[in-house]
Amino acid sequence: MIWMSWRQFRSQALAGAIALLPVVAYLIITSIDIRRSHDRYEAQCASIGNCAEAMLQFQNDFRTRLLLLAILLAAIPGILGVFWGAPLVSRELEMGTHRLVWNQSVTRRRWLTVKLLLVGFTSIAVAGLASALLTWASSPVDAVSQDRFGALEFDARNIAPVAYAAFAFALGTVIGLLMRRTIPAMAVTLLVFAVMQFVVPAFARPHLMAPETTTREMTLQAFGEVRGFGDDPVVKGVGVPGAWVTDTSALLTADGDPLDKATYRRCATDPPVTAGAGAGTGGIIACLADLKLHVEIAYHPNDRYWTFQWLESALYLLLSGLLAAVGLWRIQRHAT
Amino acid sequence: MTSDDSYPILHAEGVTKRYGARTALEDCNLTIPRGRVIGLVGPNGAGKSTLLQLACGLVTPSEGTLRVLGETPAANAAHLAKVGFVAQDTPVYANFSVGDHLKMGARLNPTWDQGLAERRIAQVGLNYKQKAGRLSGGQRAQLALTLAAAKRPELLMFDEPAAALDPLARDGFLRNLVEFVTELNASAILSSRLLGDVERVCNYLIVLCASRVQVAGDVPDLLNTHYRIVAPRGELDHPPAGMEVIRAQHTDRWTTAVVRGDGSRPATWTIKPIHLEGLVLAYMTRAMGVAGQPLMTSSGEVGR
Repeated sequence: MIWMSWRQFRSQALAGAIALLPVVAYLIITSIDIRRSHDRYEAQCASIGNCAEAMLQFQNDFRTRLLLLAILLAAIPGILGVFWGAPLVSRELEMGTHRLVWNQSVTRRRWLTVKLLLVGFTSIAVAGLASALLTWASSPVDAVSQDRFGALEFDARNIAPVAYAAFAFALGTVIGLLMRRTIPAMAVTLLVFAVMQFVVPAFARPHLMAPETTTREMTLQAFGEVRGFGDDPVVKGVGVPGAWVTDTSALLTADGDPLDKATYRRCATDPPVTAGAGAGTGGIIACLADLKLHVEIAYHPNDRYWTFQWLESALYLLLSGLLAAVGLWRIQRHAT
Repeated sequence: MTSDDSYPILHAEGVTKRYGARTALEDCNLTIPRGRVIGLVGPNGAGKSTLLQLACGLVTPSEGTLRVLGETPAANAAHLAKVGFVAQDTPVYANFSVGDHLKMGARLNPTWDQGLAERRIAQVGLNYKQKAGRLSGGQRAQLALTLAAAKRPELLMFDEPAAALDPLARDGFLRNLVEFVTELNASAILSSRLLGDVERVCNYLIVLCASRVQVAGDVPDLLNTHYRIVAPRGELDHPPAGMEVIRAQHTDRWTTAVVRGDGSRPATWTIKPIHLEGLVLAYMTRAMGVAGQPLMTSSGEVGR
C-alpha cells in the first residue's frame, strides 16, 4: 500500500519539489543578505554609536521583503491542501479507479490511512521546512522588531505553519471525498482554508488565553500613538510595550464612564486653540488630553508567544484529526 | 483451491438499495450455490450494477442482509481477497503501465499468483511498459480481468465485461473468462444486457428487470420447468394448480403462453419446449408491464 500510495503521489511530489526549490533558494539568499546587513549595522553602531537608528534602518531594509515572504509562505499550507489534499480521493472517484483499488485485498480504511499518513506527513515536512527556513532567515530582524504576534509573522514562523499544513491537507482530502469532484473540491478547500486563516487570527487567537489588562492614562504622548480619530469616542493603536494588544476600551473619564459623544465631538470639530498646538489633530489631542481620560487595554505579553504557537497548533492538529476521522468513517460507508 | 461448501456464494434476504428517491434494487432474495457461472441478465437500469456493487461491498444495502461467501461484503482484507470484481468500463490507472498494475496487484493481494498474471499478459499480448491509458478497450478489459483473476478469488464478478468490445474481441474474452474460472475452480457472476453472451458461458441465470429479481435458477432446471403452451383462447385464464402463466399472447382462437410448471396439463393443450431467450423475454415483458414494446432484438440485445 505504501508503494501504491507513493507511485500515485510521486509526480505530484516532484511538481511540489520543483515549485519549492526557488522558494528555498530565495530564503537562503535572504538569510545571507540579512546577516551581512546585520553585521554592517552592528559595525556602524559600534563605531559611530547610532545604535537605535542603525537597528531601525536594518529593520526597515528588510521589512517589505520579509512581509512578502511571509505571505508566500502563509499560502503554502493552502496550496498543499488544494493540490495534494483535494484530489487525493476525489480523483479516484472521478476516474472510477476506486472500483479497481477498493477491490484489492486492502480495506478502504487502511487504503485511506496510508494515503493520509504518507501525503499528510510530506505536506507537514514541506511546510515545516519552509517555516524553519523563514524563521531562521528572519531571526536577526525579528529580534530587533519584537513584533512576534503580527498576524503574518505569527502565521509563517515556527510550528504553526506545520499544523496549518496538516489541517489544510486533511480538509482537502475530506472535501474531495464528500464532493467527489476534483476541481470543485479544490475550489471549496481553498475557500474554507482562506476563511479559516482570516477568522482564526481575528476572532479565535486573541481568546486562546485570558488576556492581561492594564489602564493607560491618555496623556498627550498616549494620544500621539493613536491612529486617526473617528466619529465615536474610541481610539486605536494605543500600545503596551512588548505585548500584543487585543482590545482597547472606549475613552473613559476619570470616574470610569465612557466619554460622552457631545464632548468628544466638540473636541474633534471645534478644538480650542491652545498654545503650542495648531489646528487639526494637534488641537484634538490637546483638547482630549485636557479631559484626563484613560482606556482599559487587554493584551498578551510577548513571552506568551510560544504558548500561543502551541495552543493554536494543537487546535489545528485537533481539527485535522477530527477531519481524518470523518474521512475514515465516511469512506467505509461510501456510496457510489 | 479448496472451498468450504457450507455457505452459498451469495445469499440475499430482502435486499433493497435506494439512491435518494430512486430504488435501484428492491426486495432481492437470492441464494446462489457454489461452483456456478452465473449470468445476470436485464435491460439497462435494471439494477445489475447495483446488485454486483452490493456484492463486492462498494455500496451497502438500504435494507435487508447480504452475505457473500458467508460474510458481509468487503468486511475485511481476507474477505476482499476472496472476491474479484471487474467494474463496468473496466477502470485502470491511466498513468500506470501494465507492469505497474501487476506490481499493484502483487503488493495489495497476499494471495497474488504472479505466474498466472504473467502467463495471461503474455497470452493476450500486452506490453509491460505500455501505459494503461493507451490500451484499447479490449486490452484494458483483459488487464482488468488479469488483475481480478491473479488474486485467485473464490468468486469473480464482472459487470458488463464485454460491453466495450467488438464481437470478435468479445468472443475471445468470454472464452478466456470461462477457461479462467475453470482453472481457478471459482464461481463467477457476469452481468450483461446480452443474453447471447451469458447463454454461451453460464449454467445459472438471474433475470433482473425493473429493480427486481424476476427469476433465478440453474439453466437446465429453468428449461425443464418452463415451456410454451398453446391452448384454446380463454382456457388459460384459469390455469391448473402448479402452473404459473408468465406471459400470454392471444389470437382470435388460441392463446400462446410461456408457463412455469411441472408439465401436467389438459390433453387439448399443446406443449412445446422453450429456448432460454424466450423464457427471459417472457419474464422481462411481464416485468415491464406493457405489452408490445420492443424488448429484445434478434441478436438477443435487450432494450428499453
